[in-house]
Amino acid sequence: MRITRARGAAVTAAALTLTLTLAACSGGSDGGSSDGGGGGDVTAADIDAALDAEGTTTLQYWSWVPNLQPTVDLWNEAHPNIQVELTNAGQSADQYTKLQNAIKAGSGAPDLAQIEYFALPQFALGESLVSLDDVGLSDLESDFTASAWEQVAAGDGHYAFPQDTGPMVMFYRADILERLGVEAPTTWDEFLTVARAIKADNPENFIASIDPGDAGGVDSLIWQAEGRPFSVEGTDVNISFGDEGTQKFAELWDTLISEQLVDVAGGWNDAFWRSLDSGRYAMWMTGAWAPGSLETNIPSTAGSWKAATMPVWEAGTPANAENGGSGTAVLAKSENKAAALAFARWLSTDSEAVQAQVDAGLFPSTSSIMADTDFLGATSDFFGGQAVNEVFVQASKDVSSGWQYLPFQVYANSVFGDTAGQAFSNATPIADGLTAWQDQITTYGNGQGFKVTND
Amino acid sequence: MTQTSTVQASPEAPVKKARTGRRRPASSSRARTSPTLSILMTLMLLYAVVPLLWLVINSTKTNGGLFNSFGLWFADDFALGENLTKLFSYQGGIYSNWLLNTVLYAGVGGIGATILATLGGYGLAKFSFPGRKWVLAGVIGAMTVPLTALAVPTFLMFSRLGLVNTAWAVIIPALASPFGLYLMYVYSQDSVPESLLEAARLDGASELRTFLSVSLRLLTPGFITVLLFTVVATWNNYFLPLIMLTDPKLYPLTVGLNQWSAQAGSSGASEPVYNLVLTGSLVAIVPLIIVFLFLQRYWQSGLAAGAVKQ
Amino acid sequence: MTSVTTSAPPRKTRRAKAPPERREWTGLAFVLPFLAVFVFAIVAPLFYAVYLSFFQDRLVGGSFFAGFANYAQALTDPLLHVGLGRVLLFFAVQVPIMLGLGLFAALAIDSGRLRAKGAFRITLFLPYAVPSVVAALMWGYMYGNEFGLIRQIGDAIGVATPDLLSASWVLVAIGNIVTWSFVGYNMLILYSSLRSIPTELYEAAEIDGAGAIRTAFSIKLPALRPALLLTTIFSVIGSFQLFNEPNVLRALAPTTISSYFTPNMYAYNLAFNGQQYNYSAAVAIIVGAVTVVVAALAQRLSRAGEK
Repeated sequence: MRITRARGAAVTAAALTLTLTLAACSGGSDGGSSDGGGGGDVTAADIDAALDAEGTTTLQYWSWVPNLQPTVDLWNEAHPNIQVELTNAGQSADQYTKLQNAIKAGSGAPDLAQIEYFALPQFALGESLVSLDDVGLSDLESDFTASAWEQVAAGDGHYAFPQDTGPMVMFYRADILERLGVEAPTTWDEFLTVARAIKADNPENFIASIDPGDAGGVDSLIWQAEGRPFSVEGTDVNISFGDEGTQKFAELWDTLISEQLVDVAGGWNDAFWRSLDSGRYAMWMTGAWAPGSLETNIPSTAGSWKAATMPVWEAGTPANAENGGSGTAVLAKSENKAAALAFARWLSTDSEAVQAQVDAGLFPSTSSIMADTDFLGATSDFFGGQAVNEVFVQASKDVSSGWQYLPFQVYANSVFGDTAGQAFSNATPIADGLTAWQDQITTYGNGQGFKVTND
Repeated sequence: MTQTSTVQASPEAPVKKARTGRRRPASSSRARTSPTLSILMTLMLLYAVVPLLWLVINSTKTNGGLFNSFGLWFADDFALGENLTKLFSYQGGIYSNWLLNTVLYAGVGGIGATILATLGGYGLAKFSFPGRKWVLAGVIGAMTVPLTALAVPTFLMFSRLGLVNTAWAVIIPALASPFGLYLMYVYSQDSVPESLLEAARLDGASELRTFLSVSLRLLTPGFITVLLFTVVATWNNYFLPLIMLTDPKLYPLTVGLNQWSAQAGSSGASEPVYNLVLTGSLVAIVPLIIVFLFLQRYWQSGLAAGAVKQ
Repeated sequence: MTSVTTSAPPRKTRRAKAPPERREWTGLAFVLPFLAVFVFAIVAPLFYAVYLSFFQDRLVGGSFFAGFANYAQALTDPLLHVGLGRVLLFFAVQVPIMLGLGLFAALAIDSGRLRAKGAFRITLFLPYAVPSVVAALMWGYMYGNEFGLIRQIGDAIGVATPDLLSASWVLVAIGNIVTWSFVGYNMLILYSSLRSIPTELYEAAEIDGAGAIRTAFSIKLPALRPALLLTTIFSVIGSFQLFNEPNVLRALAPTTISSYFTPNMYAYNLAFNGQQYNYSAAVAIIVGAVTVVVAALAQRLSRAGEK
């Protein structure tokens, strides 16, 4: 049953006809992102009115924050007229993919979604989210820490209610440092010294690991070094890893990697936890949301951990960065915007709600709880009785301002491992790797209609 | 496209192999067992079994046990019972939903696909109608289409039809099995003699009745083989449900288990559930293995059909 | 699409002794249910993909007709070339090993020189029951360079094991997962084919005084040619569509397994991380076309070998 070439041509012709028919049918209506947006038709008064509205509204809410259901239950009990259905639609990038697909398809998107700060500008740019400024909620600024409020800003608006933040903290194994007779480092110079001491003690061990696939972690370290590689003004984007802060970071980590003082390995997997468990890694520098993960993943190390603010570049000049954290955004296409805004506002500002989320392991974003003496004084057995929240709050206050994410950061992060990550894995100069990353995302940005420069 | 059609082609060519019951006895009398062969085959057997054994052994460990015991031996505490209890109660017993969903998707999708493929394969093999060759060529060509090429368009289409995030989004694509159709096509040609059909027609039976009363019985081994493949394919499907479903209550096992596996990678006090991922994987495999064993004697002969022809 | 559905059979065909031309339409009636689903779930999305591939949709500026620009870009895209080269290499190395093992097992079980061959047959087939995602998760645990089973065994017997997730080994590691999953499956297809070799051929060989090995080469292998071709074609498709295994292992080896490691992963990441749905469609269509060509070449080679 050989099909001759002539018949093959006939198949092709038929295919083309069908294609054109389909093309005519769908009429290019899948642009999706051009209409909607803004949400200017809702006012603060509407939001308050929604709380007392008759009938029952059901809100769809996507979030992968662990143990969030009890907090949502609190709301549902108090508001029989606005019931919130919580769905875990996947972790981070998986959820953004689904959200982006649903927005593109024009149906299936929830009323609200948890969106990490790095991904927020992308959704805000597509006018997929309600701007809090458009609905008269800009006065919420005073409720949140400065860095949290700055991180929900994109373009000319604020597009989410800050839910949790992740000021960088240095978690370290006090037992290991004590055995070696060294103090916890307060500067990066001291960090290098301690790292060499750990290596000298046992060449199999490392002071910490760095994940060559995790753009977020590297971004935070650059931010903490006062590097500001991304700047965005509307659709004008500048990407440059040539600034002084980025270079300082790159040189230090070149040294750490070439002397094999840090392990270049993926995070969050079985081997990572085992390394923290066994003392193969002595530290983990990450967001203040980490204690819950440490306690549940490596309970056997309870009591030997301590938390401290990050090593700084210049002694006496505190500087810090955020790592992770997310906000609750209301979708512009939601038919229940007022009710959704009311819930999201409650979730981020109500003291009972915030406390419930803190109990679930999140590090908060509201300024009031940061001054709460009960919160500050709480001690943790896992950290040997240390009042860790004091450290975390200080870390939060130290966060330096002016950091921006790209309006295509989700893509940028997805190719980090292909470019910059290669430098970490192959112990080649990090600056070169960052340049490769810069080139690729510049090409992408220009291809997507942005005006990208590398100044 | 022109070339693929030739791949499994020439169905009109005379059947070279005698498939009519002339099989050798299961073990030939002249053969003795060969030690070398036994050793080599035992090595292959170990290769197949050791990872499964690893899964069974590690399903009996707690998270702590997983971290600090040798992979191919039991940890101090034997926690299979606890793991199973926790597996079916964790997150409100959602694993049961996943298991039932998978059974539903694989059952409806697999049985439906097999019925459609059997009808279609039979129709293509036993009747000649305009466009028949095009259908065959199209179906064979479709087997080479990369999944990702279809993922986004299918999603957008289904989304407009309101099918996304419903069981149908997984079941409908599973109903189309080009390989099943091809196999049933070859099998029908081979195992349903034209003379029987003619006899039935002379008796005045309708084509549908002829199919149901005469042909279907002859097609049983092929039917079971295709059923096995389509059920396994749907049972193991990951990519499509991942894209189509957002509600975890609708997930099949593969998507659910991978989400649990990724859960240790989320911020906050997320609970690591490696032990449940492993126990859940084991439980996910067991029903398929039972089906394999149960249907074994049928699919043996059905499988041959697709392979003996050129 | 409409042209197919409008040609539905007239109802009156269900009569005894239908003349051939009437039975033709009955045949179509048998095929129609399948065709309906096939057109809906495969053909329509495929044409929609082709349609999408002629556009470009930007985050800023929206969608516009782009002609063959996406195809032109894909044909010169080094990232796609790297991925295609990798799956070709994978195909060239992994597939012969897998099919060789499957063939050996099929011949061994068929030889009658093995005790408990039924147990071998079903056991080798068992890994096929393991979903590829689960298989990749499992092997990922075992590969782990610090704490994995393979390292543990290596340490126990004093052999230094390589880091299986490093750049030089990762393709081997993936090949092993695929081989493990599908050896039994291929073995069964080949074995079933062997079982259907007519007895007369063996009797003739016995009269000739051929030994077991000569019988294998002179009778069994030629008879297996169609089955080998079928398994090869499946393997071509499987290699070019490689996705689940590297995608799951990527969590463990984020830099050795890039976002464009295989063409399928590249298409996936373009669409879902980069919002480049249109370019992704063009890439996927090119990959499909290459798959067809390679499958056809395999077919040609097999034909040539026959002569």
